[in-house]
Amino acid sequence: GRGGMRGGAKVVVEPHRHEGVFIARGKEDALCTRNMVVGESVYGEKRVSVQEGEDKIEYRVWNPFRSKIAAAILGGVDNLHIKPGAKVLYLGAASGTTVSHVSDLVGPTGCVYAVEFSLRSGRDLINVAKKRTNVIPIIEDARHPHKYRMLVGMVDVLFADVAQPDQARIVALNAHNFLKNGGHFMISIKANCIDSTVEPTAVFAKEVKKLQQEGFKPAEQLTLEPYERDHAVVVGSFRPAKK
Amino acid sequence: MALYVLFESASGYGLFERKGSDDIAQFHESIQEAVQDMGRFSRLMELKAFVPFSSAENALENINCISEGAIHETLREFLERNLPKAKSSKKADFTVGVNDQKLGQAVHETLHVPIASDEKIRECCRAIRVHFEQLIKSLKPGMLHHAQLGLAHSYSRSKVKFNVNRSDNMVI
Repeated sequence: GRGGMRGGAKVVVEPHRHEGVFIARGKEDALCTRNMVVGESVYGEKRVSVQEGEDKIEYRVWNPFRSKIAAAILGGVDNLHIKPGAKVLYLGAASGTTVSHVSDLVGPTGCVYAVEFSLRSGRDLINVAKKRTNVIPIIEDARHPHKYRMLVGMVDVLFADVAQPDQARIVALNAHNFLKNGGHFMISIKANCIDSTVEPTAVFAKEVKKLQQEGFKPAEQLTLEPYERDHAVVVGSFRPAKK
Repeated sequence: MALYVLFESASGYGLFERKGSDDIAQFHESIQEAVQDMGRFSRLMELKAFVPFSSAENALENINCISEGAIHETLREFLERNLPKAKSSKKADFTVGVNDQKLGQAVHETLHVPIASDEKIRECCRAIRVHFEQLIKSLKPGMLHHAQLGLAHSYSRSKVKFNVNRSDNMVI
């Protein structure tokens, strides 16, 4: 049936602490982004319309159980770095559900280079990108950034959700080629994808160490409980200017 | 010794030449700083030549070659026209930097020129990538984004279409 978000005049949308993110306050609060393609849902998510003066503004509800970035925001991440106007390299784009929210978030002046290797997910990703000209779909292996080096410019933020044992290496290769000096990264680490024989905290620590050796300066780390189990998100800067 | 660096973009190929002193260690140190500063970059490297792709099809053919580390006709002609003539790789007094070992090998075998494709070349390309849009005068603001967008769609569509493992294809 119709969801609780369709409350009409009863729903108020407020800006979140992170620029470009919003909270819809209705019967229940929900995280959302301002829809770039008004009138359309990407993966069946609910939409909220708000009358603002003459204009009608539409928001899409962002489910933290389906998106690690949304989970990190609700988990209280200090700095998101993904903001209006930002250029983002997104590794592990899958079908483009979270990519669509990042596309809303960075808006028409930003852009998202979305890399996904699986052909099945890639088809969906291409379809998401057809309606959103700030999404550049790249169906290619993130392990080999030289294969798509013609398609990518320098970016402000690198986000990775690749869930591969060698993900630190994958992230580093891409950062050295495409992430600007003083740019930021946000990496989701799924402990049992790296090593399922040791404690998650030990896995996270080891991954962070690998990143530090490649010029990454982690600033914060948070778990994605209760939305994901044994996941951590690490956020920080890359090749920051020496003081 | 002269150093040329090849840069591949969605709009076309660029060839850059190192300027000034031959002190290679010093050059690589300053290229790290040139990433931040257009002025510094222009003192270190100079655009020697740029060739835009003639059409969307031409761009797709080229990226298909580049992603496999092969030389397309467009690239071969571009390099032949813009690199100094060398009789053999031993006699050449210049090096061509290519940001991919496999493509570097192919360039070496086709044109018989000395190649470098190490971490230092990657850092040069990193600096070029930062300033590329400003360096190519014929690229108006936004044109590179459009070229990337168009080429990414055609490249990605062709990946999905020409899938060798048909098992991954959905049957509707």
